[in-house]
Amino acid sequence: MTGKVRQRAQLGMAMFLLAEGVFFFLLILAFVYFRAPANLSLQAGSINTALLLASSVSMWRATVYKSAGSRLWLAVTIAFGAAFLIGQAIESLRLIRNGVTMSQGLFGTTFFTLTGIHALHVFAGLVGLAIVPATGLRIMAFYWYFFIILWLAIFLVVYVWSAR
Amino acid sequence: MSAWLCAIDHKRIGILYMLSALLFFLAGGMEAMVMRAQLAAPNLKLITPEIYNQMFTMHGTTMIFLVAMPILTGFGVYMVPLMIGANEMALPRLGSLSFWLQFFGGVLLYFSFATGAAPDAGWFSYAPLTEEAFSPGTGLDYWALALLMITGGSVGSAINLIVTIATARAPGMTMRLVPLFVWTTLVASVMIVFALPALAASLVMLLSDRLLHAHFLDSSQGGAPLLWQHYFWIFGHPEVYIVVLPAFGMISEIIPVFSRKPIFGYPFVATSTVAIAFLSYGVWAHHMFAVALGRNFLAVFAAASMLIAVPTGMKIFSWVATMWGGAIRFTTAMLFAVAFLLEFTVGGLSGVAFAAVPVDWQMTDTYFVVAHIHYVLFGGTVFAVLAAVHYWFPKLSGRLLDEKLGRWSFWLIVLGFNNTFFVQHFLGLLGMPRRVYTYPDLPWFGTLNLFSTVGAAVLVFGILLFCANIAMSLFFGTQAGDDPWNAWTLEWAAPSPPLLQNFAEIPEVRSRRPLWDRKHPEAPDWMGAQ
Repeated sequence: MTGKVRQRAQLGMAMFLLAEGVFFFLLILAFVYFRAPANLSLQAGSINTALLLASSVSMWRATVYKSAGSRLWLAVTIAFGAAFLIGQAIESLRLIRNGVTMSQGLFGTTFFTLTGIHALHVFAGLVGLAIVPATGLRIMAFYWYFFIILWLAIFLVVYVWSAR
Repeated sequence: MSAWLCAIDHKRIGILYMLSALLFFLAGGMEAMVMRAQLAAPNLKLITPEIYNQMFTMHGTTMIFLVAMPILTGFGVYMVPLMIGANEMALPRLGSLSFWLQFFGGVLLYFSFATGAAPDAGWFSYAPLTEEAFSPGTGLDYWALALLMITGGSVGSAINLIVTIATARAPGMTMRLVPLFVWTTLVASVMIVFALPALAASLVMLLSDRLLHAHFLDSSQGGAPLLWQHYFWIFGHPEVYIVVLPAFGMISEIIPVFSRKPIFGYPFVATSTVAIAFLSYGVWAHHMFAVALGRNFLAVFAAASMLIAVPTGMKIFSWVATMWGGAIRFTTAMLFAVAFLLEFTVGGLSGVAFAAVPVDWQMTDTYFVVAHIHYVLFGGTVFAVLAAVHYWFPKLSGRLLDEKLGRWSFWLIVLGFNNTFFVQHFLGLLGMPRRVYTYPDLPWFGTLNLFSTVGAAVLVFGILLFCANIAMSLFFGTQAGDDPWNAWTLEWAAPSPPLLQNFAEIPEVRSRRPLWDRKHPEAPDWMGAQ
């Protein structure tokens, strides 16, 4: 990729993530606004958060290494990301079995909308990481880091702040 | 055919945007005429109330999302690369994706008619009316899904324009030298990136409620219908400027060329655009004065709303000062630009009136609002776009529009537009509520409404004449040449219509009027600047 093309792709991705940031800010704000009583396991949330944070380290390694090493670290990143999604699914199933659903109350409404749409973006990220050509890896990494940082914000608000 | 469907060239995509906007403009216009026919006399029952609700909802949604935004995007996508001396958009394939998302969003919206239930809750679709319990049909689901697609398309094209303006300018063209249409398009695009996600968040809440039985907007389960109003208008007020700032840019290109003077106060026009963008995020609650929000809250929003009149007034002053003492040529493009100044000022003044809370309390949800919004969006945006079509058509097609037909359509449109909407101020003051399907035979109601309906018919005639002019000139118009208006910006340096590669060699830019410099090597603009 020439410098100009990379500059354009980076700026385009930055603008896209800015729009995503506004979108998620408002969904988080809706969660905060309702302050619905939660019944969450901080332990499960922390494990999931750790998985995602670990994927940020492997993502960084993937952008540093050349070809073969890079592919390996990329696979590790995808594995961590997939583990995060599985953890999220287990967490959601636990809640649903306890009767916490989208339609059961405001906690379910705000929690599932916020974490569900975040999970969709992580899933899209996994697909992106799986198919991205080496030249576009840094741009995908940008996307990946953004949704990790976003998850930290969601974790702090949903798991830590609302459980206080 | 497939060359158009798969087009990634910015000129083709730009024209696709324009044609799609024209198609939906005719559809939205037909919906408006159905409403005007129904309102022509008291106690008429031409259509049912249900159909009437669908008409005003589809009219508003169409004109905002499928006409105003795409036509401005279309001009942006077509003109910005030419004006900054680039051969293409920075992200060509994103341009194609954005257009088709936008277009099929419109198709999806109109498909709701085929299901027998078009959306009917108004273009801002307030909760709780939009909740499943009160609007059980599928119409609002189509509405929300279509707008989500359109949101994606709009953000995509905005990102593309931002990246293009940031990275593809010709050598020497700093941000102090770009044409004002490029400036206003940049600011509107940044606003899209910040504002449209608020619409997306509102739509996600609405769809969660309707399809997954969530309770965001459902007060019976502790939800908050007011949240919709806040989120929608956090998008909705910046949206007004998103569809008017590029129109300001068009006017800032056209008035100088036909006054034979450079724009007066270029830095003020550019910075006041940025000021409007910032202020527009702090005024959303002025759409909600009728909600009990608290006195201090109202005062802040009223003051901020009035403040917007300052940078807007600066622009009007700049345009008038540009014309002052100029050698004005009243081409059809210039006629529309001058009419824009007058009509938009009327809309701006009624807007300032609305910013005063007691005035708003008296007039909200009356025809005064309908008059105001149409003076801003038709008198403002549409008049500017009509001016721009007459100005840039020779570049797009290589042929001039017919001036005689142009004048006829201009006067019919001005006459029809003012007849339709000026009397609606009075109807609002008399207390006629908007969005009612018929009305009793109160003093003046019948007369003023009939006057408005006749005006709308004249307006339609003017628009059809304008369309006929385009169709005829496309085939029989006089050859325009590269630079028919003796203009100064770079798009006129390219052939008409431009080839796939806009510029055989990328021009170097040293002033705001690169073409003037080329035509007047003895007295280029940059000499005085140094």
